[in-house]
Amino acid sequence: MAIMTEAPERHSIGLSMKRKEDPRFIQGRGRYLDDIVIPHTLHLALVHSPYPHARIVKIDKTAALAMPGVKAVITGEDLVAANLGWIPTFHGYDKQMVLAVGKAVFQYQEVAGVIATSRELALDAAELVDVEYEPLDVVVDPFESRKDTTIIRDDRENKTNHIYHWEVGKRAETDAALAASEVHINEKMEFQRCHPAPLEPCGILADMDRGTGRLTMYLTSQAPHAHRTVVSLVTGIPEDKIRIVSPDIGGGFGNKVPVYPGYVVATAASVILGVPVKWVETRTENLTTSGFARDYHMNVEIGATKDGVLTALKVTTVADHGAFDAAADPTKYPAGMFGIVTGSYNFPLAFTELDAYFTNKAPGGVAYRCSFRVTEASYAIERGMDMLAQRLAMDPAELRLKNFVQKEQFPYASPLGFIYDSGDYKLTFEKALAKIGYADLRKEQAEKRARGEYMGIGISTFTEVVGAGPSKLFDIMGIKMFDSAEIRIHPTGSGIVRTGARHQGQGHETTWAQIVAEELGLDAQNILVEEGDTDTAPYGLGTYASRSTPVAGGAISLAARKIREKAKKIAAHLLEASEDDVEWNNYKFELSGVPGKSVTMQEVAFAAYTNPPPNTEPGLEAVFYYDPPNMTFPHGAYIAVVDVDAETGETKVRRFLAIDDCGTVINPMIVEGQIHGGLTEGFAIAFMQEIRFDEAGNHLQTNFTEYLVPTSLETPHWETDNTVTPSPHHPIGAKGVGESPNVGSPAAFVNAVVDALSPLGVKHIEMPMTRSKVWHAISDARK
Amino acid sequence: MNLQWSGQELVAAPKAVVWTFINDPDKISKCLPDLLEATIVDAHAFDAVVGVNVGPVRGKFKFKIALDPQPDLEHMKMKISGGGLGSVVDLLASAEIKDNGDGTTTLDWSGTASMRGPVATVGGRVIDKQAERVIGTTFANVKAHVALARAV
Repeated sequence: MAIMTEAPERHSIGLSMKRKEDPRFIQGRGRYLDDIVIPHTLHLALVHSPYPHARIVKIDKTAALAMPGVKAVITGEDLVAANLGWIPTFHGYDKQMVLAVGKAVFQYQEVAGVIATSRELALDAAELVDVEYEPLDVVVDPFESRKDTTIIRDDRENKTNHIYHWEVGKRAETDAALAASEVHINEKMEFQRCHPAPLEPCGILADMDRGTGRLTMYLTSQAPHAHRTVVSLVTGIPEDKIRIVSPDIGGGFGNKVPVYPGYVVATAASVILGVPVKWVETRTENLTTSGFARDYHMNVEIGATKDGVLTALKVTTVADHGAFDAAADPTKYPAGMFGIVTGSYNFPLAFTELDAYFTNKAPGGVAYRCSFRVTEASYAIERGMDMLAQRLAMDPAELRLKNFVQKEQFPYASPLGFIYDSGDYKLTFEKALAKIGYADLRKEQAEKRARGEYMGIGISTFTEVVGAGPSKLFDIMGIKMFDSAEIRIHPTGSGIVRTGARHQGQGHETTWAQIVAEELGLDAQNILVEEGDTDTAPYGLGTYASRSTPVAGGAISLAARKIREKAKKIAAHLLEASEDDVEWNNYKFELSGVPGKSVTMQEVAFAAYTNPPPNTEPGLEAVFYYDPPNMTFPHGAYIAVVDVDAETGETKVRRFLAIDDCGTVINPMIVEGQIHGGLTEGFAIAFMQEIRFDEAGNHLQTNFTEYLVPTSLETPHWETDNTVTPSPHHPIGAKGVGESPNVGSPAAFVNAVVDALSPLGVKHIEMPMTRSKVWHAISDARK
Repeated sequence: MNLQWSGQELVAAPKAVVWTFINDPDKISKCLPDLLEATIVDAHAFDAVVGVNVGPVRGKFKFKIALDPQPDLEHMKMKISGGGLGSVVDLLASAEIKDNGDGTTTLDWSGTASMRGPVATVGGRVIDKQAERVIGTTFANVKAHVALARAV
């Protein structure tokens, strides 16, 4: 018997297959929401409050209704009468107005909807809706909000702006350890409010067909099944009468997870009028009303010995949730996965607490390419580690190497309650240090400092937690966060896979095909991937928080293995042998002990429909609902090299190296593309993006001239590489990668700029590090 | 967003002429720059539709303007409130009218504005100068129109 000395070459997983979806995207042939046209469609335009906080005295619809072509004007009171005035938020602890009822609580809040025969007419008529407001005091700062001087949500039983308190860890022991530590840092930092700003804004085409009694909603949805269930629960329409179709999506990044007022008003209008109603957001509506990200104000305390051994971590956060607690977090995790804040480090003790407040700002708290607050947590610990290194006058690389959780410690129980599945932080970091030439860079930096030049090296060695998640812990509105796959193999050996996920550019049409091809020895080119139609896809919780590969990817793999089990019976029949003598080797069924006697999956597939074994159900398909046993914990080591002009505050990212470990890599090219995208967003957050408000509550970033999206001109060159520590519990060892670069990179950028300016005494610069902010930090340090 | 401006105009006419002019809604309305339409409501009030072109905010704004002459006959206040395209603007303009004793009158004017909505986004970058221009041009037009009326 031949002895195999090497693992067989992979059939499909691990190959950089070109993305099957790209030909249609790059030729402009994608079918996005606004490309869908149904005859006789009416259009919705929304009226927005110019006031951040104002009582609504009167809404006069007369002039708008008098305009030819206007079919209806809908207000919050109209929706209240239809029992649709308020809808629950994701975790069910709060509710939010669809259209303002009684008062507007943030600027640009939706106040009325106008339905007309064209989008242009609807927008013109929206101008004619005469709303009389009585302005109220405005609170846009969570630290002011917590004084409860002005109560934003007087509809709630408790007359306070405080939403919730959350904590995890050992408070008393952590406080004692910090007090006893030889070195103790205690620093404030903000993760500013920003916005995912997908290129395609949100929208809906609601089509109530009175003939069939079915409501079809074409929706920019990252989670079509969850949305179908929410629509059914809120409206009382039976779930079988609702079909949600999520067409091609032009970027989501968490922004297309929530339910927005435009969806509800368009749907209500379609149900009432019995015709299709379309609503597509404007850029301003997207930036001002749809789900924002971050807005965490953190205080980080780290204790250590004087030679840099960590003793304790405490992080205290004030979270600004805007006017409704609509943060898209799982029910039991109001602050998401913020407990990952101990990062890659072996803290013996830790405690974190968070208080969330209402303000007169848009609601949200969506991910922005981040698994439920992991970015805020990673930023806190990775900035904290550099602040500690600066205090200890120790190289930040040395401090990290000294304190990593070691690979022998996995599975590692963190002091804040996670069981890290796997990782090799030292390996990944040492690869990064070697590849970027860390020692030489430090030498160059010393020479430049001697010449009065400012160059910085910023490190971030983060750990993510993704793949929500085990159903015993994770649900959204009670729906468990499993995911699903259905695979059908056709007689000629091609097939179709459907999942409960919904890609928005992640490459599922290719990677899912590769998983099936790998498991079944088929050609990935002939495996069609279909997602987004609730009539055909199995139930799943959708795509966000880097959960698709860890959860839906696991379901695909296990559904394929179910098919392989059945195929083995058919193979035995074809080989005229006992099933026990048939082995799956080299991507085909071989008869053990008889070299050359084998059948391929294609042959088995044909037989499944033409020559099934006696007493065996024909066909070759399977469904699998995968409830992951744990989260997955991707990690990475990022190093940024930045030059700073101390006279102008101008920063230039000269190099950026990202070594990621997302476990098994299904398609290296797609992973690299994901990392490029995430790093570009992380760069934008670090240097450009912030949603700001003036003291009167005016939203100051209502368009792309104010809220900046980096182009290829600004974006640095990215260097990437990886290490592989497979997840021990995932069927193919994959961990998820989409969000790692956004999670890990902001701290690397800030650490680099602060490192550059540390000879001047600069200790911290808040993001976004605009030229003016860097210049002021330098000026203040020089005073 | 709150903004403030001030300026001065020397009008070649006696104080009484200036006072009468700026108390006349019909006359003062014609001094508003980019005026598209004015409707006189009463002796102290008029409605105006003006064209606005501030960055991305382009279209018509509707304003209610209330003239508020002070009993000392030396101060005039003008309250301008309204907006459009989802924005709200409240302007308060006031002028001190000083007789120079030589047949001329000095208008010391000042203005404050609070703005909400898209127009506020444009912020200090553009709106400050635009609004200053609106108020400044209004008083400059008062000077020009009074001079023109005298010349005729």
